[in-house]
Amino acid sequence: MINHKDMSLELDNKIEMIKKDIISGKITLLELELSILFNEMENSINIFNIENYSATYKKACQILEEKFEELKKLLRLLDDDKKIINFLKKKPEDEEICSLFDHCWYKNFYIEDLSLNFLTYAKNRYCKEKASNLEIEHLIRAISNEQFLIEIPEQQFIEKLDIFLDGIRDKLPCLFEQIFDGENDQIKIYEKFIYLLHLLQQGRIKYHKETNMLYL
Amino acid sequence: MNEISLLMNLLSKKGYNGQLGAPKEEILEVLGAKDKNSSIYFQKLLVQLSNYLQPIGMQIRYNPLNSYWYIRFESEISELISANPFEGKPSLAATLFCTLIYCLKSSGNAYISEIQKARNKKYIKDDLKELELLGYIEIRKETEQVKLTPLIGYQLDIPRLLLNTALKVKD
Repeated sequence: MINHKDMSLELDNKIEMIKKDIISGKITLLELELSILFNEMENSINIFNIENYSATYKKACQILEEKFEELKKLLRLLDDDKKIINFLKKKPEDEEICSLFDHCWYKNFYIEDLSLNFLTYAKNRYCKEKASNLEIEHLIRAISNEQFLIEIPEQQFIEKLDIFLDGIRDKLPCLFEQIFDGENDQIKIYEKFIYLLHLLQQGRIKYHKETNMLYL
Repeated sequence: MNEISLLMNLLSKKGYNGQLGAPKEEILEVLGAKDKNSSIYFQKLLVQLSNYLQPIGMQIRYNPLNSYWYIRFESEISELISANPFEGKPSLAATLFCTLIYCLKSSGNAYISEIQKARNKKYIKDDLKELELLGYIEIRKETEQVKLTPLIGYQLDIPRLLLNTALKVKD
């Protein structure tokens, strides 16, 4: 969460504590988790307190630089396999060697059986649909003199309207929702709704807003 | 079904000889990504899947011993479900350590004699046989050598082990 409270002094104190802990050997630079410090800095800095943070940022960067140096030394050690062989020549105890494996073991996640049909299906499908090859094309605007985008033969639509009105005539007056009773198909519900809007517009059906009733 | 669910299956499938997951080439082939940007596409998919897996305690990893990508449980969960196969067997762990160091030192194969010398023991063949039974190594009797199998690369965080070792020899 972003907190805009000036925390520069608090962070300065934290950095001093870290320095003391490193010097006293309580923690090592390689174990040190600096991301928390930088996150706190990032989340509390703003245009009003930025000046107070420059010194804090410099100090945090110094520790980060020292951590990098320590890491470089460690990598140089890794490169020199003689040191590891020498360690083995000193005949360390089995338990000492065993402790090197601490926190190094992992459990894997796997699926015992994978359906080949699924893979073939997926392969065929994705070979055709490559997300990386998608191209954005500009749409060509359609030229039309009509006011409505959907062109439906007028006669057919009016006939459908009449059939719909005849179908609900016995139900009326009724609640608005009752027109769609027993209908589960979303497309049919949408179709009925459109008919209803047209009938309302034509004044062949009336609607009472307060009672949510449709009537003739 | 989408790319992420397909990738999830590829990275978690179990193959022969303890192999898990899939190499990059196989993943790209199954996804049908063959253009010049396929590596970027692959990287993006891995990051996206990783974002899904992280909250449920799993992570995507690379096995350097066979170049396969696979899924494993993160450190804390692995410890909870006792991932360490050498609990209470320090001698076996020490033999594995010596085998690892000598194999990595000489590009995959190590002479049994040099492991024996490093272990400072007269007889280590029982340990090696047990490691072979666990599937971590292959013993080559004709050359008196041992070879690491990809299985160890799946279960053991080798970079972390080397880091622990470097910290140890530094002292």
